[in-house]
Amino acid sequence: MATRAGALSYLAWRALVAHPLRRLFRRRGTGLERFRAAYVAEGLGPTTPEDRAVGEAASACVACGLCELGCELAGAVPAVRALGLHAAFRLYSRSAAGLPLAAAALEACAGCAGCDALCPTGVPIARIVRHLRAKALAGRDPPVREG
Amino acid sequence: MVSPRAVAAEVLVVGGGMAGTIAALAAREAGARVVLVRRAPGATALSSGAVGVAPDPFALPGEPLRAARGPLEAARRLARLRPDHPYAVLGDRLEALPDALAFATRALAPLLAPPLERPRFLATSFGTAVPAALCQRSQAAGDLLAVGGALVVAGLAGHLGLDAALVAASLERYRARGGPPTFAVEVDAGLGELGLLRPHELARRLEQPGAAEALGAAIRAALPAGAGAVLVAPVLGLRPEAQVPERVAGAAGIAVAELLADVPSMPGVRLQAALEAALAAAGVEVVQGAIQGATGPGAPIAAGATEITAARWVLATGRFVGGGIARRGTLREPALGLPVQAAEGREAGVDLAARPAASLTGAARVGPQPLLSAGLRVDARLRPLDARGRPAAEGLHAAGAVVGGHEHASDGTGLGVAILTGYLAGRAAARPGGGE
Repeated sequence: MATRAGALSYLAWRALVAHPLRRLFRRRGTGLERFRAAYVAEGLGPTTPEDRAVGEAASACVACGLCELGCELAGAVPAVRALGLHAAFRLYSRSAAGLPLAAAALEACAGCAGCDALCPTGVPIARIVRHLRAKALAGRDPPVREG
Repeated sequence: MVSPRAVAAEVLVVGGGMAGTIAALAAREAGARVVLVRRAPGATALSSGAVGVAPDPFALPGEPLRAARGPLEAARRLARLRPDHPYAVLGDRLEALPDALAFATRALAPLLAPPLERPRFLATSFGTAVPAALCQRSQAAGDLLAVGGALVVAGLAGHLGLDAALVAASLERYRARGGPPTFAVEVDAGLGELGLLRPHELARRLEQPGAAEALGAAIRAALPAGAGAVLVAPVLGLRPEAQVPERVAGAAGIAVAELLADVPSMPGVRLQAALEAALAAAGVEVVQGAIQGATGPGAPIAAGATEITAARWVLATGRFVGGGIARRGTLREPALGLPVQAAEGREAGVDLAARPAASLTGAARVGPQPLLSAGLRVDARLRPLDARGRPAAEGLHAAGAVVGGHEHASDGTGLGVAILTGYLAGRAAARPGGGE
């Protein structure tokens, strides 16, 4: 019974004294900092006004693929070229966390802006791709070196 | 500040898809000076590349394909069933449909095959057959009623865009209605890694010297006995002058046709290119840019760095894709602020965002969907009507998908309505006063 009483008193000490005291004096930072610490690593950073503007402009995309005709993505490997640049739209519109998956396609964009005049719904594709590209490449982890 | 270039014309057409182009060509043929403003390719470039005019609403599911009515009779029947449909709203002017179709065939002669009395039944990449009043030359040999022998669906080895076995198995269903027996084969044309090529890349690759011939030779080697025609993926070139379908058929020694395409549709892109070529050939001035500051016919309108003044306008701005109708809280016509109607004559000018989505879409797959048929209300002369049912502006006509009452993308009448309304609106706008 002595062991049980000891265990219970230790738990009581932790619950009633040690933990509340630590909570009281711990430096936890602001809510934004805690949000960043928890979510930015997963690609779910806070939405900036620029993000919002880009999102609204991109929401007119109907994923028809007509822009692909003016987009060579010549520097990309076949698997990335097959996905096409509008894969970035699809992945990003589903979840911001999906953007890193489109990083290779965004990186292969030559910035020729041949897509803009082809969009039936008037999406400013080149502007959106520039924004997403900066976002995808900034948030990317440094490449893992093997061996 | 660059001062805008001023252009004066008798007829201004807004929109460069099927409806706008046919309207511009019809007005030009009637002798008017025409300017066409376009922003970008629209829903026409997303079409299958063939022209559906009217599915016969009275046709029975098991009826032989051969019993299909011609486009005019099918359109008359459709008009009887659907009073809001443009075919019904046009009244007697629906009888101009054969003239309009002939006009479009002439204008797009290098691309389109001569029409038949009956519709052609063309196979889609999903293995269904749809009636088409007009189709491209590269699609005509796939007509289920014209195949003498077995129909062979040829898949390209390694190409992921088409499941030939699925298409062939699905097309077998039409055998009971007079369709041909159907087989699937797989051919390896030696074109390299095809699996990850996008449709336009495959189309361009086939345009290269020898590539189409290699595909044709591979098809010839794979043909089963008794084959009458071959269906292939809709990737036979982007430029008609490259003659990819002809080269493939020549090397294969058999009629070769493309399936109808899903988006991104290479036949749709070819159709759009043919429209633009027809405009250039007819001497229609094309201005690139989105229109701004439109108040109505007679007043100047800005498009890019050009200012256009015309006494009569044809609005052919399309529906949701082209931007002729926009959903911003309410359904709106952004160019001139004209009232928009949803199907069944119900006004759509209420706050859609505050309404349950179910109020503008129906649960029944085949039932009417008011949201998808939303557009301008017009009278029999294609003049847009204001809220009180009177013509909204002098000299203003509308054509194509911006006109409401039909589900242009799904009910099989989209390009048919575009051709008929474009033809009628263009001719009406070319006449002084716009009347008849």
